[in-house]
Amino acid sequence: MLARHHRVGKGAGVLFATLSIALAACGSPTTAGGSPSSSPLLIGVIAPFTGADAALGPAYFAACLPAARAINNAGGVMGHMVSCQEFDTRGEPADAVPAAQQMVASHSNLMAVVGCTSDEASSVAPILNQAHIPMFCMTGQSEFNKTTFTYFHRLVPPDEFDAFAMVGSALDHFNYKKVALVFGNDIGSQAFVGPAMAALQGLGATVTINQAIALGQPSYRTEVTAMLATHPDVIFTEALGPTDATYMAEVKQLNNGTMLPFMGTSATIDPVWFKAVTGAVGVQTVVDKFTAVDLGVSFSGPGYDEFKTNLDAVASQFPAAPTYSQRGATLHLYDGIMQAALAMDETKSTDPTVYNSVIRDVGNGVTGATTVNTYAAGVAAIKNGQKVRWVGAGGLTNYNQYNNSQQGYIIVKYDASGNEVTIGTLTQAQTAAIIAAGGG
Amino acid sequence: MTYYLTTVLVYAAVDILACLAISLQFGVSGIVNFSFIIFQAAGAYTAAVLSLPRDTANGGFQTYILGLNLSFPLPWIAATLVGALLAPPIGLVVLRRLRSDYQAIAMLVLSVIASLVVTNTPAFLDGAAGLSLVPQPLSDKFNPYSEAYLWAYTAGALILAVIVFFIAQRIINSPYGRSLRAMRENEVAAKALGKNAVALKMTVFVVGGAIAGLSGAILVGFITTWAPSTWLYPETLILFAAVIVGGRGNNYGAVLGALLVPVGFEEATRYLPPFGPPGLIPALEWVCIGGLILGFLWFRPRGVLPERRRVFPPRRQVAEVGNPSASRD
Amino acid sequence: MSLIVAAFGFGLVSMSIIAISAVGFTMQFGITNMINLAYGQVMIASAYAAYALNNAGVSIWLSLPVGAIFGAVFSFLLNRLVYAPFQRKGTNLIGMVIISLAVSLVIANVMLPIVGYYSVSYHQDPGTTYHFGSIALTGEQILIIALAVVVMLAIYALLRFTRLGKAMRATAANPTLARNCGIPTARVVDLAWLITGALCGVAGTVAGMNSDSFSVASGSEFLIPIIAASILGGAGSPYGAMIGAVIIGEMTEISAAIISPEYKQVVAFAVLVLVMVLRPQGLLAKRGALAAAG
Repeated sequence: MLARHHRVGKGAGVLFATLSIALAACGSPTTAGGSPSSSPLLIGVIAPFTGADAALGPAYFAACLPAARAINNAGGVMGHMVSCQEFDTRGEPADAVPAAQQMVASHSNLMAVVGCTSDEASSVAPILNQAHIPMFCMTGQSEFNKTTFTYFHRLVPPDEFDAFAMVGSALDHFNYKKVALVFGNDIGSQAFVGPAMAALQGLGATVTINQAIALGQPSYRTEVTAMLATHPDVIFTEALGPTDATYMAEVKQLNNGTMLPFMGTSATIDPVWFKAVTGAVGVQTVVDKFTAVDLGVSFSGPGYDEFKTNLDAVASQFPAAPTYSQRGATLHLYDGIMQAALAMDETKSTDPTVYNSVIRDVGNGVTGATTVNTYAAGVAAIKNGQKVRWVGAGGLTNYNQYNNSQQGYIIVKYDASGNEVTIGTLTQAQTAAIIAAGGG
Repeated sequence: MTYYLTTVLVYAAVDILACLAISLQFGVSGIVNFSFIIFQAAGAYTAAVLSLPRDTANGGFQTYILGLNLSFPLPWIAATLVGALLAPPIGLVVLRRLRSDYQAIAMLVLSVIASLVVTNTPAFLDGAAGLSLVPQPLSDKFNPYSEAYLWAYTAGALILAVIVFFIAQRIINSPYGRSLRAMRENEVAAKALGKNAVALKMTVFVVGGAIAGLSGAILVGFITTWAPSTWLYPETLILFAAVIVGGRGNNYGAVLGALLVPVGFEEATRYLPPFGPPGLIPALEWVCIGGLILGFLWFRPRGVLPERRRVFPPRRQVAEVGNPSASRD
Repeated sequence: MSLIVAAFGFGLVSMSIIAISAVGFTMQFGITNMINLAYGQVMIASAYAAYALNNAGVSIWLSLPVGAIFGAVFSFLLNRLVYAPFQRKGTNLIGMVIISLAVSLVIANVMLPIVGYYSVSYHQDPGTTYHFGSIALTGEQILIIALAVVVMLAIYALLRFTRLGKAMRATAANPTLARNCGIPTARVVDLAWLITGALCGVAGTVAGMNSDSFSVASGSEFLIPIIAASILGGAGSPYGAMIGAVIIGEMTEISAAIISPEYKQVVAFAVLVLVMVLRPQGLLAKRGALAAAG
């Protein structure tokens, strides 16, 4: 009995030590807003950095670094310097919950959180909302279309809108009639299938085949053969990781070296995807045969230039950062951080319960607001007593009452160096017609 | 702070339950259940689809079976039962007299199959997207975001873990526990003494499955979402590592392992100062978990709290323990 | 119908790659008594080693031997530095499985910061496509099939006709007895790791060629069909692994043609479960995986 007690005592001792380390570490963070102006602010990047979606986290981190640089070069947010920190969710909700809770508990200086993909938004968004931390999410899940979370912001449309835009451009712009759907069986990709099928059938086009493909398989030749046998005009696709690269390479091989036209969602406008697929089918094939829908981002103008300058400058901290110069998510999350920072300046507060509601005003602009494209210009305008509207890397923001921002779509292709080239536009009216047909 | 602390404690309770179940199956009885995580997943899914309303609710953004909108504690009881009921069919494989490592990888493949089936059948449990907006227990009566609710939930989870711990203690100290150990050490001899090995294994498999199902229900009730990515096969291996680190076959060891590996170590690594390009620290965390497992198996292969010897110890053992009576209860 | 025939043709390629890798995996189990769950990660590390050379302008077929050598050396060191010391310490079988998993975690996550999280492709020429009825195969795929056949024959010859092969079989059957008969079992085990490691390296590179694109995460995707093929044929039996590879390779492709692509692995693995229930030791192994009585 004695021996057993001794052992339990030891176990409890280790437990106690572990907990005290944890508590000591949580007890130390900097004090909350309103404290001395030197206290730094933190932007949390909560996203998958390991696991199957490990490629997503770095793209969001690449949004935070240039934003922090721009803010700090302009003297910080009311003198508070801003920094970025990654919080790995491993791409799954059960790991995301403690990651988010730990982030909130040990960093009382969080000014905003970016990331939260479809992998973890369902579990992370309630936590952040409860902790009153403004978040800019990348999830495409329609459960957030009419969210009650007041701290939730989304600068990208839900996935089904992408699907409607693809249908619209296929039918109106290219006059394709027969469509093959090839989507990964993952959470982000399958969201397109239902809406796309409904819209295509509603508008009189044919779905020749609908394939949900397992990601990361060594080959898809049988699937490709079955797909080719249905003779589609175009393939709609989103299958991330190496999957689209493998699949499309096999389409080219099995179609006697000729690639079919293929069209991607906005998630395929991504340097990682471009690198993988061009590696597998060749750059020229992608340039000739691939189109995609993307959010109406022009990659030009003073707001974009400011973003690009800062993005290139952070290469010393994150060498791959400049490769994200045309990734929609990176641009939009950068804009979100800027909107949060300017909302803080405008309300002269580091308390999210004060500035959160102003983020929408900075994004949409109130009557008489001055349009600004750089953080420094925004701070100067606010000092002059003006209200500001942020028009940044991703162009105009139009938050609705649920803080979901919608834009028109553009139809794009890649050039040989992986830059996006606009080849057409879909107005909001056109998109609306297709959305109606798809029952969205 | 409350939120983080309650999160860690609820996870600790869930991991303690899981490790106790694995310790009973693997440590005490020598059954290698490398598909353990599918029992936890079954419990979580059961609790989720029983407490969720019909899938047409919430705008119908997810599809799943049932959706009975049952109130607590029915979903948790059902989760425990489903965990237990899943055991006999899977037990068919385990009951074979196979080498333990071979059995392990066979079970691992089974775990992968289960994940593939759920992922690719969206109408069943919403496929890869998984279930979200799962109602917390009694959330219709209390505010689930209040601190009092979180502490009550934490207390409930810990009480269940303590109850299961005492049940597990009763099992290993009972004549039944002795039979299990006898079977683990020498199955032929145990059979010769009239023990029914198949029945012994099957009961412990069912008991472990029930505990796993309950742990899944507790977890899903807390995080309100469940998807295939939460129950990939490496999760099982982390739990096995915990039991090995803590000390297999010893319930105190299982508890300690749960606190050290999935809870303590993972939480501790979150406090590393940021450095390097994005993704470097999370990758290094995994490297450290790997290193921790290797280190323990090298320096303390029987775990921090080894199973007590219950046979008359050989002389060498006596010398080590110092007091022979300490090894008996 | 022509789709099923075509799928059969693609199954030939799949089975070839699974066969090369599964034979290596199962021989590690048979000869060195080790279920090496890090096998998939060593494959992908070898594929990246070949990629380093290929990306520098060397033909992929010339980079293939580099992948093989890398796999051989890596596996050899893995055994010498990690597995063998643990085995000598008396770590039990299940402990060894967990050790190999820990090693697999370490390899994957050390690679991630080095090679990146994005996928890469070999610079390769698939060659002309040849048609045999409904079956269409590129020159490269035919070479991969041929390579698999050569490797299988070489393994057969090694085990059947060489002294080393006999020593390996003896070590696999009973290491103590083999040692007492004067077989230098330590050297045999070293050579076994070099040979199986080379198979692993070749398999990784060929899998990378076949899938046109791969990333660090592909390692665990590769592993599951390999385990399935090995168990199906009877763990530890190289010929069993070959049969297992044929069944898994063909089942995945043909079920993708007949049923639905998302269930292709499920169907293949369902066969495996059936075999496990009816004949748990696998199709060929007589008792290899069965626990010793008493």
